[in-house]
This record gives sequence, C-alpha cells and structure tokens, in this order.
Amino acid sequence: MHMTRRLTCAAIAVAGTALFMTSGLAHHGWDWAEGETFELTGVIIAAQLGNPHGLLTVSANNEKWTVEVGQPWRNERAGLKDAMLVKGVEATFQGHRAKDKGKRVMKAERVIIKGKLYNLYPDRD
Amino acid sequence: MFFDALAALQEWAPIAALRNSRWTYASVNAAHIVGIALLFGAIVPLDLRLMGWRRTVPIRTMVRILLPVAVAGLTLALVAGLALFSIRAAKYAATGLFQLKMALLVCAISNAFLLHRAVQWETHQAAAGVGPPLRLRVAGALSIGLWLSVIACGRMIAFVD
Repeated sequence: MHMTRRLTCAAIAVAGTALFMTSGLAHHGWDWAEGETFELTGVIIAAQLGNPHGLLTVSANNEKWTVEVGQPWRNERAGLKDAMLVKGVEATFQGHRAKDKGKRVMKAERVIIKGKLYNLYPDRD
Repeated sequence: MFFDALAALQEWAPIAALRNSRWTYASVNAAHIVGIALLFGAIVPLDLRLMGWRRTVPIRTMVRILLPVAVAGLTLALVAGLALFSIRAAKYAATGLFQLKMALLVCAISNAFLLHRAVQWETHQAAAGVGPPLRLRVAGALSIGLWLSVIACGRMIAFVD
C-alpha cells in the first residue's frame, strides 16, 4: 500500500516536471515572436530549405539575420520556389521578429521579391 | 570525415525527398511518436513491477507481454528517428541537446541489456509476492528516469537553435 502511494506520487511529480519543462519554451508556434509586424530587406546569403522548416540567412544593414520561411508545402502554396530563395536574391520579408532583441531572428509571413508578393500565411494579418 | 559522411547522407535522394515532402515527413514523425509510445508505455509498467509494485504478479508474465512490445516500439522509434535525423544530419550532430539525447539513449539501452544479463533477472522472475532485490529496483528506477530524459531531450531539440 505504501509502495503504491509512493509510486503514484512519484508518477505525478514526474508528469508535472515534464509539463513544466516543456511549457516554458517556445520556438515552434508564434509565442517567441512579438506581436507587431516587422519588415526586413536584404540579400539572401544562405538557404536551408525543407522540413522541419526553412531557414534563410539574410544580410541586411550589414547585419546577419535568420529568417524563418515556411515548410515546403507552405512555400509552394504561396508560389515560392526553392530556386527563388537562393544566394544573391534580394528580398523583403514581412512578419514578426523575436521578442528577444538580442537575436536577429524573424518569422516571415510574406515575402516580396522583385515587387511580387508571396503570402505564406493568407489567413494571418 | 564524419561530417562529410553526414553531408552525403543528407543529400541522398530518398532523404532529400523526405525533406521536401509534406505527408511522408508527417507520417515518419508520427511513426517516431508511435514507437516511443509503445516503448515507454510497455517499459514503465515493467519498471514499476521491478521496483516492487504489484508484486503478486509474476515478473515473467509481464515480461512475456511487455518486452516484445517495448522492443518493437524501440525498433520503430530508431528507424523513424534515423530518417528524421538524416534530414539535417550535420546540424543535429552538432547540437548539444541531440548529443545528450544520444548519450542518454545509449545509457537506457545499456541498462536494459545489463539487467537482462544480470543473475537476479533470471532468479527472481519466477518469484511472486516477495520484494525484488536491489539490483532490479535500481534498474527499474534508472529505466524510467533515463527514458523520460531521452524523450524530454528529443522534444526539446525542436525548441533550441
């Protein structure tokens, strides 16, 4: 009986700890980014596309930025091809930057290349 | 050399296809989770029994059902996990949290193997109603702790840069 009770307590403690550990962190989703819209214009210097999500390294105002774009299906739906997101391409990214201003990281909702807009999230502002 | 091999793995056609797919990638992801669920769901009851819970149930009976399920789950998780790793092999290999996860995984599997080979494993399996020896209690507690840590590290890889 004692053993049972002790084990039940231990199981609850373990589950609670696991929940606590995972709830504080957020890189997936949008919680890590601020609410206001942010815009960045620069030149792509490196691209790492595909699952789990695409990352572009962008040189803007002499700073190196990381711009998160969509998964393959999201880019494709917006009309963005991998060949358009390559080194040397100048683009404007609209979206949200990380709340942590020390990080030059943003998540793009819209990409503008040569005056054409590609909307990754048509259902978001 | 090692990183050259990982780079080659990343560019291997089936892996490149997986990186650019939608539902195949999602399915491999789901398979990894199903594998973990089978493994963890089977091993925790066994570990609790090894720690002395419900000692009227013979360990041998539980092992017959739970061990094959756990091994099948581990196999599925390993195969799907290897595919997911390959998508960004060089990046994951250089990620501290991933390295920690692999170290913990080796510990968890070693713990299971060593327990399987321990004298107490054979001698105590038929016993019911008596408290398990310390060797089994320690292995059971270690198993729960290690597998939980492996899962936590794995989940958190997605939340670090």
